[in-house]
Amino acid sequence: MNRSDVVRGAVIPGALAGVAGGLAFGAAMIELGILDSIALLVRAESPVLGFFIHMVVAAVIGAGFGLLVWYQRPEVGETVFWGLTYGAAWWFIGAVTLLPLLSGEPIAWDVDSARELLPALLGHLIYGSVAALALVALQGAQYKAAGAFNVGWSAVVRGVIAGLAGGFLLGSALEDQLGLPAISAVMTDKSRLAAWLVALSVGSLAGLGYALLYPRATDGAGPALIRGMAYGFLWWVVVALTLLPLIDGGGLRWSVDDVRAGFQTLPGYLLFLGALPALLYQWLTVLERALLSDDVGYRAHEGLGTQGLRAIGRGAVAGLAGGLVFTIVMVQIGFLTTVASLIDRESVYIGFVVHLIVANLIGVGYGLLFVRRSNNVGSALGWGVAYGVLWWLMGPLTLLPVLVGEAPQWTVEAATAAYPALVGHLAYGAFLGVTFFWLESRHNPWWITRNDAEAERARRAADQLLSSAPALWGLTVLIALTIPVLLAG
Amino acid sequence: MHHHVVVGAISGLTAGLVLGGVMIVDGADTPALLPAGSSAVLILAHFAAAVAIGAGFGRVFRYQPRGYAALISSGLMVGLLWWIVGPLTLVPLLRGNLPTWSLEEATAVFPNLIAALLYGSLTGLFYYLLVPAVKRRWPPPQPSAAFAQPATPTHVVVLGGGFGGVAVAQRLEQLHVGDPSPQITLVSQSNYLLFTPMLAEVAGSSLEAQHISAPVRASCPHTRFYRGQVTHIDLEAQVVYIAEAPTSSLHYDHLVLALGSVPHYRDLPGMEEYSFSLKSLQDATNLRNHVIGLLERADVEADPDKRRRQLTFVVAGGGFAGTEMIAELFDLVHSALRYYPNVPTDELRFVLVHSRDRILPEIGSELAEYALGKLRDRGIEFLLETRVAGATPEAILLGDGTTVQTRTVVWTAGSQPNPLLASLPCERSRTGALLADSTLRITGHENLWAVGDCAQIPDPDKEGTYYPPTAQHALREGKAVAENIAAVERGDSLKPFRFKTIGVLVGLGHRTAVAEIRGRRFSGLLAWLLWRGVYLSKLPGLEKKVRVLFDWTIDLFFPRDIVLTAEPTPTLPQTLAAEEAVHEQV
Repeated sequence: MNRSDVVRGAVIPGALAGVAGGLAFGAAMIELGILDSIALLVRAESPVLGFFIHMVVAAVIGAGFGLLVWYQRPEVGETVFWGLTYGAAWWFIGAVTLLPLLSGEPIAWDVDSARELLPALLGHLIYGSVAALALVALQGAQYKAAGAFNVGWSAVVRGVIAGLAGGFLLGSALEDQLGLPAISAVMTDKSRLAAWLVALSVGSLAGLGYALLYPRATDGAGPALIRGMAYGFLWWVVVALTLLPLIDGGGLRWSVDDVRAGFQTLPGYLLFLGALPALLYQWLTVLERALLSDDVGYRAHEGLGTQGLRAIGRGAVAGLAGGLVFTIVMVQIGFLTTVASLIDRESVYIGFVVHLIVANLIGVGYGLLFVRRSNNVGSALGWGVAYGVLWWLMGPLTLLPVLVGEAPQWTVEAATAAYPALVGHLAYGAFLGVTFFWLESRHNPWWITRNDAEAERARRAADQLLSSAPALWGLTVLIALTIPVLLAG
Repeated sequence: MHHHVVVGAISGLTAGLVLGGVMIVDGADTPALLPAGSSAVLILAHFAAAVAIGAGFGRVFRYQPRGYAALISSGLMVGLLWWIVGPLTLVPLLRGNLPTWSLEEATAVFPNLIAALLYGSLTGLFYYLLVPAVKRRWPPPQPSAAFAQPATPTHVVVLGGGFGGVAVAQRLEQLHVGDPSPQITLVSQSNYLLFTPMLAEVAGSSLEAQHISAPVRASCPHTRFYRGQVTHIDLEAQVVYIAEAPTSSLHYDHLVLALGSVPHYRDLPGMEEYSFSLKSLQDATNLRNHVIGLLERADVEADPDKRRRQLTFVVAGGGFAGTEMIAELFDLVHSALRYYPNVPTDELRFVLVHSRDRILPEIGSELAEYALGKLRDRGIEFLLETRVAGATPEAILLGDGTTVQTRTVVWTAGSQPNPLLASLPCERSRTGALLADSTLRITGHENLWAVGDCAQIPDPDKEGTYYPPTAQHALREGKAVAENIAAVERGDSLKPFRFKTIGVLVGLGHRTAVAEIRGRRFSGLLAWLLWRGVYLSKLPGLEKKVRVLFDWTIDLFFPRDIVLTAEPTPTLPQTLAAEEAVHEQV
């Protein structure tokens, strides 16, 4: 691969894609009236100059994006998630660090400055996703050759079914706690029917969108769950914070207060418009393949029963390992009594037992979902912590309140109060993932020689690094750790 | 491995320096990886953390050409995780407070989050750039001739695919994970590892024959397997000769003999011809078919004498195998009776012949008494202190000159080590077992080892006593041999084999059993549950465990299967023909 190929294939399309992303971000900045802040870079305050500089920077960063994904797998969804992560990272590099530095101001790493820059974070996320889509369009031939556009009717149907299920659950969950109109932070006076229609259509659109991003289901159920979570976040940014307010005519709702108000739908989007439809989509695809195709099994496949039972056993052990680590956090923050309240008790010891049982079950879930998806300690850590974040959303914020007879607590207050639990879930996930990997790596099916098994594992690891998996690990943890801090107060 | 850690540490340090640069540009109190003032200690701690995280990163994440995106974003994740470990946890601890991980604390150290995130991403990037550069500058040493794989790896040949042999292969595989040396080969006549303690249940038709055996190829995945019979062992040339295999001879560096035992009929007349043994799956299914065949016959038999013979079942030997067998036969016949309305219940006879004064010498007398009482209450006859003198097609001859008219004699009263061993120029015990030392090496041979029923292994803790030939011993002996072979190869000293019997479990049918585990005694339902649980856990292979569990569950709710799986059974027509001949002569 010589230099001119890289320039022609990656840098130029990347720069053009960056321009597209820059236009979207620029439009938002005009709407928000913050364009002139960019011009501060050259010590001027003209919006026009600001826009010009903005577009140049956007093109340069876009070229960087082109380079970043140059060798990555050409799949629409994968590129979009890289774009999302890339955009988020540039908020930290650019808006929070370089921009103040170059403007001769102290860098904006403290929470208050970061809060002020929150609209720019959303802008960066939009920038990243739009640039990614533009890059896909510009490099269409490559993607087409790789079959990334082969969206069949069955994929559409699967996507819509998965999305409808998600929309229904989202609607039900919102109706329980906030009243259905909260589907959009600004839809306050609409009728219930209209709100249901919005929920279901947003759901089916989300499912459809996921099917378009991934016409072929990839990489197993667990990774799909994590991809779905990132996808749900993208939807929250694009739909809940951007499009729905714009349609309502309220203008962009990107200020800290607006985002804080919109936070109440975030867990819903992550779980029911993202993770759940993605998981269902994956399962429907597997089901379709199992029922309707003549797929002759892989040689490496041990059969669902053996593999599943092994995964359950290993997941249970790994879950216990993670649960014991989590216990340290639980004891420290005095959370065990809350856990005990799940079965109407108050004792710390009963809480400990319940906690371990739950840790065990969730570990089994991890085992079943992520069987053979971690190929080294790094990817084990990545999937583990991402799974931990998922359970932070599912557990303390959703199921725990529901199981003790309350509505899910999707508020900034609840999320910030559960911040220690987030740390605990991350620790749990990390130990769960690594232990599971360790248990799994000691075994390979008997009909494969050890060398072949190692080669296969290395091949899968290499494949995985060219997917969006590493971007998702970083992004998931990033969102979970920063959003509550930025929105608190 | 070291290589990656060092490069990781350098990458981490470089990223730490960049952050330090940002700190300088920005002014003094800009935080870095730790919540800082600008004191020298904290700056030092910052760089120490930078190096340590980088080293950890290098240890965990793999360099891959073109994989820079993955490394950068993995670095970002590692940076974030560091934020939790460092500023949120370690720093409060070092300051003497317990961490609370609360939002307030997180807010206070939020700047460190951004620093850590940038640091991590940069570490990933530098790591990607540095690894190839370092490799180019200092290419990793090619394995020299001294460290290269030996041209011919040590070859361990295991003869026998029972508990002992398979345990040797499995342990050797475990000891050499990721290392193709030594090469392991297992030779066995059957391609499965048979869980012999469940054979009686197969004969009793409560378990499917295949379910109690796991393919050797599945049990030891990285062992070469030959199905065939060993015809000759040449100790001088270190070669094993096999019949029925394409490779007729195998050269070995270490030879493990785990050939097990065969029934020993003590030269009793007619016993070998007219009795059933219980050593293989074939034996168990033959016996099962034979019993069901007899019931089929007895149901239509008009002659009461013949019918009585057909309905009398005799087991010779009151040890663990014989006792379980008679109980299983009793259950099988009674469970099947409903299908044979013309079989008179009062003509059924179940007899166990045993030479000593009590059954089950493997367990304490109290439990043996319990078992005897239980089985007697069911109607099983016990002829104790009675020797077997021989067998004919229609009777078993007893030492006191009497006979019991029967068509079914099961022989469990004796076994001897595999006769192949007789051809070896080694010392042997009275029974024919090879004399091994306590490290399981055969006396006088450097590379010859023996485990299981075919060896006599001294107990180093009790002078003059030997370990009994049981499955639990064979398993542990196999492991010990594998470890000693590995020790020989490493040049380490050998360890003597030590093992204390865990316990004995005997199923008595009808939800009862007796068990003696580490001296504790159990009987009845509890022992039965224990018996099933232990056997299930010891059964090789997850899949077979599930299948047996299903078999047992079905057995709880449905009568035993009376389908004849082989027609005619090899022994029944033979005995019937013999009987006809006798009658014609009369």
